Amino acid sequence: MLQTVRMHLSAATRRRALAATATAAMALSISCAGSASAADLPVWDDYSYEGQVAVIETLVKNFEAAHPDVDVQRTQRTFDDLALTLKLAVSAGDGPVVTKVNQGAKDMGAMAKEGLLLPLDPYIQKYGWTERQSDSILARDRWTKDGKFGTGETYGISSLGEIVGLYYNEKVLKDAGVSLPLKTFEDFLEACDKVKAAGATPIAMGTAKQHLALHLLAGISQAHIDASKRSELDDLIYGRGGSWQTPGNVESAALLQKWAEEGYYFDGFQGISGDDAVQLFIAGQAAFLTSGTWYFGDMKANPDIHFMAIPAPKGVEHPLSVGGVDPAWAITALAKDQATKDLAGSYIDYMVSPEAAVEWAKAGYLPSTKLPDDANIDMTPLLKEGVAIWKSLNANDAIGHYPDWSSPTMLKTIDDNMPLLLSGRDTPEAFIGKLQADYAAYLASK
Amino acid sequence: MKQSVLDAPVRKNLIFVLPGLLLYSAFVLGPILAAIYLSFTEWNGIARPDFIGFSNYLSLLTDSNFVTALKNNALLMVFYCLLPLFIGMAFASIVRSLKGREQMAIRTLLFMPYIMPSAVLGIVWHWLYNPAFGPINQILKSVGLGAIALPWLGDFNFALPSVGMVATWYYCGFCMVIFLTGLQRLDPSIFEAARADGAGAAYTFRRITLPLLLPEIRIVLLLTIIASIKSFDLIFTMTRGGPANSTLVPNIYMYQLGFQLNRYGYAAAVAIVGAILIFTVNYIVHRFVRPADGGSR
Repeated sequence: MLQTVRMHLSAATRRRALAATATAAMALSISCAGSASAADLPVWDDYSYEGQVAVIETLVKNFEAAHPDVDVQRTQRTFDDLALTLKLAVSAGDGPVVTKVNQGAKDMGAMAKEGLLLPLDPYIQKYGWTERQSDSILARDRWTKDGKFGTGETYGISSLGEIVGLYYNEKVLKDAGVSLPLKTFEDFLEACDKVKAAGATPIAMGTAKQHLALHLLAGISQAHIDASKRSELDDLIYGRGGSWQTPGNVESAALLQKWAEEGYYFDGFQGISGDDAVQLFIAGQAAFLTSGTWYFGDMKANPDIHFMAIPAPKGVEHPLSVGGVDPAWAITALAKDQATKDLAGSYIDYMVSPEAAVEWAKAGYLPSTKLPDDANIDMTPLLKEGVAIWKSLNANDAIGHYPDWSSPTMLKTIDDNMPLLLSGRDTPEAFIGKLQADYAAYLASK
Repeated sequence: MKQSVLDAPVRKNLIFVLPGLLLYSAFVLGPILAAIYLSFTEWNGIARPDFIGFSNYLSLLTDSNFVTALKNNALLMVFYCLLPLFIGMAFASIVRSLKGREQMAIRTLLFMPYIMPSAVLGIVWHWLYNPAFGPINQILKSVGLGAIALPWLGDFNFALPSVGMVATWYYCGFCMVIFLTGLQRLDPSIFEAARADGAGAAYTFRRITLPLLLPEIRIVLLLTIIASIKSFDLIFTMTRGGPANSTLVPNIYMYQLGFQLNRYGYAAAVAIVGAILIFTVNYIVHRFVRPADGGSR
């Protein structure tokens, strides 16, 4: 009898437990479903450096505080991982609603063409983003349905500006007898010669990984182009024609090759990665480094390091500087309903707001949105130099382009052939010819 | 005699195989079939794949990068297969002659690289080879050999051997262990008889040890050939196929085509050709490297 009662109790307890579990599960699923449809915002970004992570986490917290019903589900990826996974994830229907996406044909162009990104033009008008960033910058996020770059609807907007310029170590230059500031390209060449003669390394270079050589090539080439004559470069990047086979490109390639042959780079630069070369430069092992403003945070470690645009040759009044903006914020096709699209638009609006720009500047990064005039920011000397150059470039419409945007395969073509140029196995003409062949093949395929 | 449940007809036993078969189909067979299908298409990873027949395979025939990748892979086989085989056999002979703790210590030390993830080793060796910070060049310079302190992974001639030497270092411990087990399997009386008949060490090795170790040699060749053809992680972490494709192998090329250039159909064709190569080379090894009596293990 006792056994029977225990069994009955046990069965009753089990039933109650089951019912309670089922109720709890239903309640949980209802609450989850409710939050998923109302206020979950999956976001992918590529802010993976320590300083960047601190800023973006602050910005996300601020946004959530201003939108208490929104849960931003942020996924952090490196630049390379983002490029590898984004298209496949969104096309499989299991990716972010808001994402960073790299401009150019390979990523943004391909996604816009396939309808995986939504145009941001309604939000540009609604929030007045054209007041914050120049049209020349926003043009880098424009694509037509038939794959024309630089025109059509706008699919993204960026938080950070980027300038590829000339870092220089004041102490190394002064020790070599170089007088500053460098005003012309000829001054830069003369400074390199003096540093070499003094027994130091003129230019920090590492070609095993990253793209320092590409930045040096493009930086020199574009510094020879006046902003008033930029149309051919714009045509090249936007796939409207243009050519790689310009005297400027060939001469720049020849200069890079000459410097490699005459020992102007680090000893063994072919086996050193770009990041390692940057660390050597920070340690005072070279006089110059051509790279982007994204290294501002690292450069703070050495107060002798300063930043300037690559100086132009005489006669070029407003030289172009390679650069533009970091990968853009975009809304994916996974934003199905208007409420989700508007939420995504509002998130991006905050990310490119003056308030966000101030947060980036405080952390030493160059915001692409104009800083408020009354912003009280204790900027690092490097950032002050960067902001001044950014303002000047914007005012003169002199922000150049990353040349690898000219075709989806250009970066690989450059990576494959740059070692051949620097080792003297290819002539400058042959090297530029290969880039032109890649570009011509892309134009033919469009 | 009581019958086993497995003595039932095949169709009834299929139920026991079904869970494994489903998992195999989902994670192995399905992707293989998908890769075969994709290799006949042009697909950018987003839009619908376009069926293009054998075009990808025909393009591979005239693709200079693919030919370079195959040549590099053939060269790497020296470092992945032949050198570990010879060095592993030598190590096995040496270790076998040691006793007790000495043998265990040396055996463990030589085998240790094999238990490490090869991607981690690639990163470590990338640092060791670094011309600016790496200890290899620092040592060379400190002993007056600065002239041969090369940018190992950035030099067209030395990048492939530099990567290959790491593979040799990685696999020779594994080969040694296989040969050690083989040597332990051999009957000592055979060697005593050879010694009594006046056979020298070299003669004994060539005419007795080597033929008796053929089953182990075959296993080592099969496994290292598979490893060499599917090599990816070491090269990816050390050179990514550079400089200028001098360490490019089919799997790196497949990765670049798919994930950097969005040519997934063409990348799948590279993968299928790589798989066919593995089957072909291994069939040749399986067919021709076997004991004289034709026995197979």
